[in-house]
Amino acid sequence: MRKIITFIVTKDCQLACKYCYLVGKNTNERMSFETAKQAINYILGNENLFPNESVAFEFIGGEPFLEIDLIDKICDYIKKELYRLNHRWFNDYVFGFTTNGLNYGSEKIQRFIEKNKSHLNIGITIDGTKKKHDLNRVYKNSGKGSYDDVVKNIPLYVTQFQQANTKVTISSADIPYITESVLHLYELGIHTIHINCVFENVWKDGDDILFESQLVQLADAIIDNDLYKNHECSFFNEKIGKPLDPVLRNNNWCGSGKMLSIDAAGNFYPCTRFAQYSLRDKEAWIIGNIHDGIDKNKLRPFLTLDRCTQSTPECINCEVAEGCAWCQGENFDAAKTHTVFERATAICKMHKARVRANNYYWNKLYRKLEMEGKREEFEANKQDIKPEIC
Amino acid sequence: MLQYLVILLDDTSVAYCHAENPLKGRNLIPLETLKKAILFGMKENLMIQYVYPDYELPEEYNEVIESIDHVKIGRDVAVYNEVPKSIATENVVLRLSIADFIAKQYDIAALLPQVTRLNICLTDIESFKDDQVEDYKKALATLNAVLLNLYKSGKQPQLNILTDRLQLKEMHNCGAGDSNITLAPNGKFYLCPAFYYDEKMGISNRLNHHKPSSERSVGDLEAGLQIPNPQLLKLDHAPLCRICDAYHCNRCIWLNQKMTWDNNTPSHQQCVLAHLERNAARDLLLKLKEMGLLAGEEIKQIDYLDPFDVREQF
Ligand code: SF4
Ligand code: SF4
Repeated sequence: MRKIITFIVTKDCQLACKYCYLVGKNTNERMSFETAKQAINYILGNENLFPNESVAFEFIGGEPFLEIDLIDKICDYIKKELYRLNHRWFNDYVFGFTTNGLNYGSEKIQRFIEKNKSHLNIGITIDGTKKKHDLNRVYKNSGKGSYDDVVKNIPLYVTQFQQANTKVTISSADIPYITESVLHLYELGIHTIHINCVFENVWKDGDDILFESQLVQLADAIIDNDLYKNHECSFFNEKIGKPLDPVLRNNNWCGSGKMLSIDAAGNFYPCTRFAQYSLRDKEAWIIGNIHDGIDKNKLRPFLTLDRCTQSTPECINCEVAEGCAWCQGENFDAAKTHTVFERATAICKMHKARVRANNYYWNKLYRKLEMEGKREEFEANKQDIKPEIC
Repeated sequence: MLQYLVILLDDTSVAYCHAENPLKGRNLIPLETLKKAILFGMKENLMIQYVYPDYELPEEYNEVIESIDHVKIGRDVAVYNEVPKSIATENVVLRLSIADFIAKQYDIAALLPQVTRLNICLTDIESFKDDQVEDYKKALATLNAVLLNLYKSGKQPQLNILTDRLQLKEMHNCGAGDSNITLAPNGKFYLCPAFYYDEKMGISNRLNHHKPSSERSVGDLEAGLQIPNPQLLKLDHAPLCRICDAYHCNRCIWLNQKMTWDNNTPSHQQCVLAHLERNAARDLLLKLKEMGLLAGEEIKQIDYLDPFDVREQF
């Protein structure tokens, strides 16, 4: 498994998206190069703590590309050190970014992309149609939608990255726009769409029914227009919606604790969602810092988490449990006590709606393939796509 | 199932477990609260354990206290914070730092023939270092030698950290919030006295509730017990402890909260100490069996001191 190491380089962003979980964004917490360097020295100097074969260095914010000069310097330092130490990660590293895409076309970013191209994984966040995108993704000061400024960069992005992908987050107000948004993103040339419902308790009565009907509409559009052949939408996955064996399938869903996040102050977190700026009700779960290293005791709950211990009997016995996701950070934030062992289930009715639409999708698709005599060919070629984890 | 009600008679009631009592000002439980607590215990069928301060209680308290079966901690059970020269009571709690335990191992050994039961309670488990392992092992071996002689002379000595494990076939842990609950002088329930101290002193800020300022209590005599996430106090919800066979371990949830921030997850230090004791108990059992002095169930040989290190194998 790839080790994911995340640098929270800035807590600033040009936008103030309405669903943003970062409750503590600000303009003054920027990571210094010295802090990043010390973190890298600690990580590369303690190979026993990081035995993974490969690594992804992720840069997030706020908006990470606001700090492109710093990121460029950090990436150069990482490459230099991996080479100097003859580190096994030298052969297998990526630099990952999730960006709002606003300054994607700028000279500095383009120079950085040119320099690191074969090791980059960039996802630009667009929520869909202009209407849908501008509903949430608005400028901090003016409140104006940001769609036009992002979309102008998409043609360049799509030509630079064959694997162009985007992450779409669905909250209550977004449900009516799901179908048109996904189709719009496909039209823009983005063929892989990672889409999920937020884990927070935001859902209103009837949201599940509306959600299901949107997904059924989307299924019809994808199948009727043969888009399933070379497009992906993570809502539809053949694996989901089955019961899970409590013994054989007892693994945790979320990767927190197996990742490492570092903030501007040089503190370590089990994942970014445990940093103070992402938490509503709890104090940050700091597992160490660049000076003292990792306090392994603070990681033990994460590394012993399993599905059943944190779930209620209803979830353990759920007939459609497969693919029902959770976020450890949200679980912690919403928990009645100071624990990561209490699973938040605000998503329950949305998952069940998704499962119904997903069943519809596969039944419809297989019938069509059957009628066209292409079912066997499809089954032989289909890729084994696991339900997505964060 | 809840079995015991621990009643702190005063804020300065003696600390008898891992956590120190930092409260210095006297604050005697009101008589009415004490009566209600006893009534609660009677209705819930709980065995009462009174925890005494170091001063004599007013006469009217004694009458109320005697109105139900009970144990007096700080009286019937004597609590020492250093190794005494000799001991008058039969049931003793000896609270020591790990360094003192190691340094005074021979003095402690000398107490064993004088008591029916000696409970060693280490007060700084959190600062145990892996380089103390050998010294701790050696101290346990010293005590084992004395225990063995006592068995040979026909006695049934009890030293919690070594002999408890010989008889146990399943976990027998502290059980705070599960088999026992603590009532403080303010009439509120706490998982154990440490959580009450924490509420008053803000020791850890991270115990049990959301905000640093919030209460640590889990109900009161009026509203009854209201333990949030009670399942997380049970063995089947503790991923490491449920696979472990250091059955005598306290599995201290206070230490868990303090060290790992989750009360169902123990620290490395707690596990290593308990395993050194478990392994020493194994040595003792082998010898006792060899001599035909005890027929306990076998304790397996294992090659780890912290179940966390082998968790993938379970
Ligand atoms: S949250 Fe709901 S859908 Fe998910 S596993 Fe639990 S019961 Fe099933
Ligand atoms: S030794 Fe560790 S795992 Fe075993 S019961 Fe004690 S605290 Fe739990």
